[in-house]
Amino acid sequence: MTDVKSEKTNHTAAGWSRRDVLKATSVGAVSAATPMFFTQNAWAEEAIGNYPVKGSEVVLGFNVPQTGAYADEGADELRAYKLAVKHLNNGGGMLDTLKPSKLTGNGILGKKVTYVTGDTQTNADASRTSARRMIERDKVIMVTGGSSSGIAIAQQYLCNELGIIFMCGLTHSNDTTGKDKQRYGFRHFFNAHMTGKALSPVLSNEYGKDRRAFHLTADYSWGHTQQESMQEFTEKEGWSTEGNIMTPLKTTDFSQYLSQVLNSDADVLILNHYGANMVNSLTNAVNFGMRDMQKNGKNLEVVVPLYSRLMAKGAGSANIDGVLGTSGWNWALEDEGSKVFVKAFSDEYGFPPSQAAHTCYVQTLLYANACEMAGTFYPPEVIKALEDFEFTGAGNGPTLYRGSDHQCIKDILVMQGKSPSARTSDFDYLQIVDQVAAKTVDYDPAIFGGELGPYVPA
Amino acid sequence: MDMTLNAFTLSLLTGLQLGSIYVLIALGLTLIFGTLGVVNFAHGALYLIAIYLAVSINNALGFGLALILVPPILFVIGILLERGLIQRFYNRPHTDQILVTFGLAIVLQELLKWIFGANNIPFAIPSWGNGIIMLHDYLPFLEGFVVYPKWRLILVVVSIVTVAAVFALLHLTRFGLVIRAGMRDAEMLQFMGVNINRRFMIVFGLGAMIAGIAGVFGGPVTQVSPEVGMQLLVPSFLIVVIGGMGSLGGAVLAGILIGMAQSFTAPYIYINTIIIYLITVIILLVRPRGLLGAKGVFE
Repeated sequence: MTDVKSEKTNHTAAGWSRRDVLKATSVGAVSAATPMFFTQNAWAEEAIGNYPVKGSEVVLGFNVPQTGAYADEGADELRAYKLAVKHLNNGGGMLDTLKPSKLTGNGILGKKVTYVTGDTQTNADASRTSARRMIERDKVIMVTGGSSSGIAIAQQYLCNELGIIFMCGLTHSNDTTGKDKQRYGFRHFFNAHMTGKALSPVLSNEYGKDRRAFHLTADYSWGHTQQESMQEFTEKEGWSTEGNIMTPLKTTDFSQYLSQVLNSDADVLILNHYGANMVNSLTNAVNFGMRDMQKNGKNLEVVVPLYSRLMAKGAGSANIDGVLGTSGWNWALEDEGSKVFVKAFSDEYGFPPSQAAHTCYVQTLLYANACEMAGTFYPPEVIKALEDFEFTGAGNGPTLYRGSDHQCIKDILVMQGKSPSARTSDFDYLQIVDQVAAKTVDYDPAIFGGELGPYVPA
Repeated sequence: MDMTLNAFTLSLLTGLQLGSIYVLIALGLTLIFGTLGVVNFAHGALYLIAIYLAVSINNALGFGLALILVPPILFVIGILLERGLIQRFYNRPHTDQILVTFGLAIVLQELLKWIFGANNIPFAIPSWGNGIIMLHDYLPFLEGFVVYPKWRLILVVVSIVTVAAVFALLHLTRFGLVIRAGMRDAEMLQFMGVNINRRFMIVFGLGAMIAGIAGVFGGPVTQVSPEVGMQLLVPSFLIVVIGGMGSLGGAVLAGILIGMAQSFTAPYIYINTIIIYLITVIILLVRPRGLLGAKGVFE
């Protein structure tokens, strides 16, 4: 017995047979694969927000202004979201152009995409209530929307706290991805700083370096950052700043502020207003004769830093004729991504999409693609997949979702209002003057401070 | 910012024109409250209907027809509103009146948004009212080049004419005499065989008609979007309160006061935002009845 035993021992000690090596290799391969295999299931036990997703469907929350001042923009955002859901479930649209992409048109991670909608009422409290309802009652895995920075920031804080990823809709304040940035918030749209950087050289080129600007500014987060950025970059071009008046958001008649501008030495009026504010202030300025007036021996010029087609339409093409501003995207862009999106949207709804629709559509696809890339809905992994994600095929050229502040860095459009005679359709109010490269509008995210916070909410 | 003579004149004119639109809306409000005792929160929505009607008719048929058609249409809408809804709330508490008229205002606002969309509809100024007036040509004490939009000065004139017409109607006609008597003691007038309810119905129509005039001339200034009615309603109500509930003279005085206050505080956002409420608090502390509120009326 002893011999047999020692024989066996000797056999093992003597070395490995070919069969032993093959067996060991197989076991080793399975062992090596095992940790990765289990990693995906390991976080299944760690519930964050509405993760894990149960059942065969995954619900997205579209929280847009369906009433209030931005209801038209909200309606266009909702159209885009519905189109994105259609494409995610059935293919088509930018699924064919987005690169790199793991989207197949078979939902997200094999689950059919459904959605619920909410009304932000263009009001921070209402937006929070609506988002909370979606998260707690409808169990959405992601919230997206908003047509105002104050509201986007309010939702971003709430979602971050509850462990739900918030893909910002239309928000242009520096604060959204600056001092108020959150680990769970992502912005595809550009910001006020990028507007100032892109627009100021064009203004200086067009109107000269010896200019005196007067700002009228909407008195909330976006207006403040827009004014600061425009002042910073126009002054870098050699302009001086004559004054700035903060105007209450609900102002309908701007005459008391325009009187102050008339009484100053300013020869450029910069309207840091958006939506109905901009429509009214620009119309009032035209009524005050400011577009036909001379100051300091120069034509008095009006500038609208942030443009949208809906605003241009509201103000009327006679009033916006020649006025310069910036946009994040325009339906006249000729890249493949823009073309397929415009076609899909126009086929579905009968008219081209707005920039609000574009950013909301892209945000939904980017979130879905990040889930596919991460192979899970687990928020920390989806966030990591979005961070520093570089992509093309979604309009505006190559784009980076910067990891350090969750701000997309992409090309910016400088736009100019078209004259009534130059318009070709009821949607043709603005023409692209310049496509300013992403590297030109890029900036150090540290200048705005803020902290993203942890991947797993406290 | 230095307050030069130029700046003072511009602020004065701006205050006058801001006050003018408030006066036109507050006039209808105070007329309805003064006669019927109804707190009509739907008055802003009447202005909203007026600007949408005005811009639609203006864009399709021209400003002249808008001017001729909108005020009478609003008069009819006012009568229908009074007969169909408001009269049922005469003897109900003010809270019921506020709830029903506020609800009505929201319904009308959302209805207009559904029909016309939430985006602004550009309301162009007619060619004869467009452009600017060279103030320095008429006011020699001004230095250099000082201008003001012609339309806003027209708005001030329209406001003055409307106020004068309403005063004349109430103080120089038999109809006005009955209305004023009805404001004092409606029950007594009914005992004397006067059908005061029919006259009050006409007054409601008149209030709506003034909102119609405000809409035709104010539309190009406030522009045409569904939020405008509510945004003008709050200051207009405060003007009625500051002026003295039911006092036409008080509404005019308070409207101009608020317009001036907003104009002169424009460079100072934190005061500008609260000035209207600050004035309301101060006046109600000093004169609880409002500036020209008569003793015994609505007390």
